Amino acid sequence: MTHHYSEDDLTLYYYGEGRRRASIERHLGSCAACASLYREIAGTLAIIAAPEAPERGDQYGLEVWQRIRHKLPEQEGPAWARHWAGLFRHDRFAFAAAAAMLVLLAFVAGRVWPRQPVGTPAPGTAQIAGGGAGADVGHRILLTSVADHLDRSERVLTDIMNAPARGDISSAQRWADDLLDTSRLYRQDAMEAGEQSVAAVLDELERSLLEIVNSPSKISTADLEQIRRRIDAAALLFKVRVMSDELRQRESSPGGALPRTSTRKTT
Amino acid sequence: MDATEAAAVLARARQGDSEAFRALVERHSRSVFRLAFRMTGNEQDAEDVVQESFLRAYRQLGRFESRANFGTWLYRIVANCSVDLMRSKQARHDQVRGDSLDEAVELPATDTPGPERMAHSAEIERRVQAALNGLSPLERAAFTLRHYEGRSIDEIGTTLGLGTSAAKHSVFRAVRKLRVALAPLRSQES
Repeated sequence: MTHHYSEDDLTLYYYGEGRRRASIERHLGSCAACASLYREIAGTLAIIAAPEAPERGDQYGLEVWQRIRHKLPEQEGPAWARHWAGLFRHDRFAFAAAAAMLVLLAFVAGRVWPRQPVGTPAPGTAQIAGGGAGADVGHRILLTSVADHLDRSERVLTDIMNAPARGDISSAQRWADDLLDTSRLYRQDAMEAGEQSVAAVLDELERSLLEIVNSPSKISTADLEQIRRRIDAAALLFKVRVMSDELRQRESSPGGALPRTSTRKTT
Repeated sequence: MDATEAAAVLARARQGDSEAFRALVERHSRSVFRLAFRMTGNEQDAEDVVQESFLRAYRQLGRFESRANFGTWLYRIVANCSVDLMRSKQARHDQVRGDSLDEAVELPATDTPGPERMAHSAEIERRVQAALNGLSPLERAAFTLRHYEGRSIDEIGTTLGLGTSAAKHSVFRAVRKLRVALAPLRSQES
């Protein structure tokens, strides 16, 4: 039986993409039906020439600037600052802000509280701590990867916090879905490396990502508000940001890659 | 403006220096307009997209990662502003858009305009434009990026915030619709 290529295969072939280009090329030489379909697709696409954009002069940039200069909005600061400021700007978030402040104080206290002596490894870190330079490199890689992951997650959370009511959150959901699996793996790695506070933040992050993924794409105002409240209540954006900054500082400081020995949770 | 100078201007713009942002606007406006025109197919819409894109870029400069390329970041903003504008236009003028698609599909194959009515190439352009207007905003954006801009499927996905599969299928749906809409034109050509 002769195998024919689909219109989609031939479209990709026309654009120089797809994995079976060589076999499609051979096939088109011997299959009249596919060759005809390909000619039809190529003929249609060849008709569609790029439109000539009207010319814009050298002063166009200046004209654009004159049009927008009085409309420039306030710049958004870093996401965590934006979010934090927002908490206090709206009365409706007053309760959440108060709760978040308590959580924040506990978080900061957890960071500055005297830790166990460095010589006492946390459970699960013996293997890495005993691995010498190689383990240190491995640990730095973990810190860098988790920091990148937290940055990406922060952007998804920010998108959700800024999503319009009754909007479509499907692109944020796809992104959250991609991050979810990675987050689980990093959390396990962090646990094994004795990074309890990192694992705790990742655990909270996972719960929010899961909630985003499992919500309807055309989300109702109430559902969106509920997700936002949970993110607020956990001060999640703030924690993600602080943890990311801390990991980046540790990865660049001598000996900073050593695992945190405190098992105190960040909440 | 060399790379070091461009980085310094960008850093100042990120700190809220509007004069530095002005330099970025002046540098990128023409390329932003070209892309916006290709995406929307309409001069006035393209101007709206240019304006909205720079305002959005200014607002979001804090999110821009300094190690990324500003042009690439701005390109994404322009593409997405174009999609947003087409979506809002579609919502307002759904009926009008439907009419123009119907027109493109239903024009009889024998309706070749004579030289006295219109140049043949102008007629082709008009029908192509009508066919493009029959695409959904996302299909049109994905098709524009693939066909006019020469972007790969992966790049289209990144630009529009889609997965590779969704980007690919947006292009496929666009091509299928265009084949149907432009079939009469092709039969005239052959």
